[in-house]
This record gives sequence, C-alpha cells and structure tokens, in this order.
Amino acid sequence: MTNYKLLLFISLFMVFGICHAQNTGQNEGDYKKRVLETAEIDILASYYSQDGNNAAVTGGLGTEELTDITGTLVIAIPLSDDDVLTVDAGISAYTSASSSNINPFDKGFADPFVASSGASRDDTWYNLTGIYSHSSDDRNSIWSGKLSFSTEYDYTSLGFGGSYTRLFNEKNTELGFSANVFLDKWKAIYPYELRPFAPGGRGLNDFLFLENTITGNPDYNPSFTVLTDENRNSYSFGVGLSQILSKNIQGAFLADFVLQQGLLSTPFQRVYFSDVADSFIDNFHLADDIERLPDSRFKVALGGRLNFFINEYLVVRSYYRYYFDDWGINSNTLSIELPVKIAEKFTLYPSYRFYNQKAADYFAPYNEHLSTSQFYTSDYDLSDYNANQYGFGINYTNIIMKQHKLKVGLKSIDLKYNYYKRNTGLSAGIITAGFKFVVD
Amino acid sequence: MIKKIVLVACIPIAFSSCVAVKGYEKVNINDPDMELSEKLCDRNITIFHSYREAAVGANGGKTGGGCGCN
Repeated sequence: MTNYKLLLFISLFMVFGICHAQNTGQNEGDYKKRVLETAEIDILASYYSQDGNNAAVTGGLGTEELTDITGTLVIAIPLSDDDVLTVDAGISAYTSASSSNINPFDKGFADPFVASSGASRDDTWYNLTGIYSHSSDDRNSIWSGKLSFSTEYDYTSLGFGGSYTRLFNEKNTELGFSANVFLDKWKAIYPYELRPFAPGGRGLNDFLFLENTITGNPDYNPSFTVLTDENRNSYSFGVGLSQILSKNIQGAFLADFVLQQGLLSTPFQRVYFSDVADSFIDNFHLADDIERLPDSRFKVALGGRLNFFINEYLVVRSYYRYYFDDWGINSNTLSIELPVKIAEKFTLYPSYRFYNQKAADYFAPYNEHLSTSQFYTSDYDLSDYNANQYGFGINYTNIIMKQHKLKVGLKSIDLKYNYYKRNTGLSAGIITAGFKFVVD
Repeated sequence: MIKKIVLVACIPIAFSSCVAVKGYEKVNINDPDMELSEKLCDRNITIFHSYREAAVGANGGKTGGGCGCN
C-alpha cells in the first residue's frame, strides 16, 4: 500500500504544479454574466428491474428479483448574479424478493427462490440535498457547500461537504477539489431464524422452531452474536482536472479517495459454513451467521474522460476508471457513448459499458465459507465477475422554447434504456427519463 | 497494478502541453454533449451501479455513504 500512496501523492503533486504553471491570462473580459440566468427545474424518473439467483440475503443462493421506481426533483435558483441554490429531493420505492426473505417463514413453504410477503419486502428511500454555490466576479473560482439527508426504514444518513473549483489558462483548464462526509446509521435487522439466538432470545424454544420441523441437522445452533456498532462513516476527498486539448477535444482526470469506518457489512445478509452441518425448514437453509466484514475500508478510484467532437453530427464520449481498495477488490470500467444528432432538435445516444472486478478477499459462494474465518460474505456484488451494459437513448431539445405556460418552458427531454448483464447470471434493465424546464 | 497507476498519473502531464483555445474557438467544445461531467439524466444509472458494483467514485457521482450501498 505504501507504493500506491507514494504514486498517488506524486500524481497529485503533478496536478497542482501543472495548474499553477498555467495560471496566466485568466481574464477574458470584464463582462459579468449571471451564473444562472433563470431558475431551472429538472424532473427525473427511473424504473429499474433485476433478476438473478445469487441473493446475498440468502447466502449467495436465491432469487435477486427486485424492482425500483425513483422520482427526483432538482430545482436550481439564481439568488444573485454570483450565487445559485440547488435543492434536490428524491423518493425511491423498491420491492425486493431477496429482502422479503429476511423472514421467509411468514407464509406457506419457505424457499430462497420464492419471495415472501413480509414487511421487509418493500421500502421507500427519501433524500433531500441542498447545494449553495458562489462564483467569483471573474468566474474563475467557484465555491460550493452541500448538506444532505436521506432515510429509509433501516438506514439514515446525514451528509455535508464542499468543493472548490478554479479555472486557469483562459478557462482551458479547470481544477476542482471536493470533500464530503457522510454520517450514516443502520437500524440492524437480522435474518429471522437468528433472532432467537440474540441475547434474551429463546433459542430452539422459540415459536419458529416449535411450529416448524428442522430437517438435516436438528440441533441448529448458529454462531450468531449481535452487532455492537451500527454507525457507518464515510470520508471522501476528490480531485478533478479537466483540460481543453484542442478545438474539438477535451478530457478530464478524476481521482476519489474514500475512507469508510464502522458497520460496513449488511446485517441481514446470511452466510453458510461448509464445516457446519446444514439445518433446514422446508427448502430454506437456516443461517449459520450473518455477513461479517472489516470495520474499515479505503478505496481509490482513478478515472479519465475524453470527449471528441467529430463533426456537427457526431460526438464521442469515452470514460475509463481503475478502482482498488484494501479489501482486495480491483476493477476496470470502460464506457463509450456516441451522441448522434439526427435533426436540429433530436439526438440519439447509443452506448456501451464494460465492467469487471476481482473479488473481495472475504468472498466465497454459497456454503463455502469456514466457521473459523474472521470475515466472510457471499454477496455476489463483491465477487469476481464482469458485466456488459448496452444502452440507447434519445434527447429532444427545445431550442426556441415557445411553449411557455405559467412562465415555465420545456427545455429538453431525455429518455434512455440500459440493459445490464453479468456473467454470474444477474441481469437488469433501467429506463430513465429526464425533463428540464426553465422558469421565466 | 503499479504500471496502471503510473499510466493514469501521466495523464495530467499530457494536458500540460496543450495550447490555449480562445473563447471564440470553443463552439464545438461548448456543445452540450461535450460536457465532461455525467449528465443529470444518467444519475440513477450511476446510483444503480454503486449498488451492484464494488467500485465507486471518479465519475462525479457518489463515493459512498447516504444509502445502504457500498
């Protein structure tokens, strides 16, 4: 890790040096344009659906069927020539078959591939974020501060942060720094069959085991202890450097460093040990323990974007990211999008994205962990895999904006569909829509 | 892996040799599709990636916290 840190330090040093060297000729004139001419309203909506057979809730084997509907409202309000307030409010409602199997025993025959009807079957996530930004008179410096709050049934988060962006070299070079802190809190929910083994529980005398017959090993005795820390704190620092390379090419280098501490596992995700005799109720394998992961994680993500204006009909947008962390995961992300202008107001967006990752040191598939290990997970989101994503979108931009009603004009509409497929079997589709309005 | 990091770290050096493009020459650069940040309408796609994939960050999106994802 020492070598990595040294290289990263050198990289950051170069970034600072280059931008300092290019800090000449910043002023393009004294004309001061409003940062944001009028208020803008963005309405975003998405529908997400996935399916697979490796649910982490059921220890790496079971249905991953999930649907999610998200709606977001983003309002940007110019407070003065230099200041903009952005309010971002979102609601996300999901239904998850795997989450429903936190308690698979509440109806009929228990089976990891069949959704249950319990309360954990669905949840709603609410988010509110406020961002205040201030630009300098010469528009070469931008400060911003951010405050956010989000909540769902078992998770609450308070976030705050800020950023500073500086433009150099006749606005050809842009250097930005950001820092964010998230103070999150879990409300731990454990797999249903483990709860009788928590302090004060009745163990095998619990109603669950008296009402149902345990098959396989009848002396079910999981090595379960409740979690003592339910906080998760995340501290991130980001650097971004963008540069206009020619009249038709511009690129950016992005780096994010994140330290997470606290409860980094998910309390309701089961794990099964290969050296412990298996116990079942119906078709459902009773958990040996919950997922256990270290209480600290350091992540580094280094990315680059390069965009090419080929001609008035075609732009090439490319992106690459290399990621690694101290859990042993490293990954590559590569994506390309080709906006094609087919008419004055319409643009098509075909895209492709490739992603691969190496598994976390603590990952093993269903029933392959050893009870002697300190950390273990069967969450396939932390497994070895690669994924391909194919997307297509269309944008309508209302250049003239004649249709003003109630002083609100439609500026643009975006519609996109993306299909995502992992080589582990998980597949997902997401439809997104975005509507931008301007207010007179 | 070290080679990859060095390669990425060299990107800023390549930037340093660029000639400044004047404001009146930025017509193509100012095309909305040339923006270097992620588009707002792609935000929910990035959020779904942050749930399903271990890697986050370096894309202008969230880097952790704020939800039960990584």
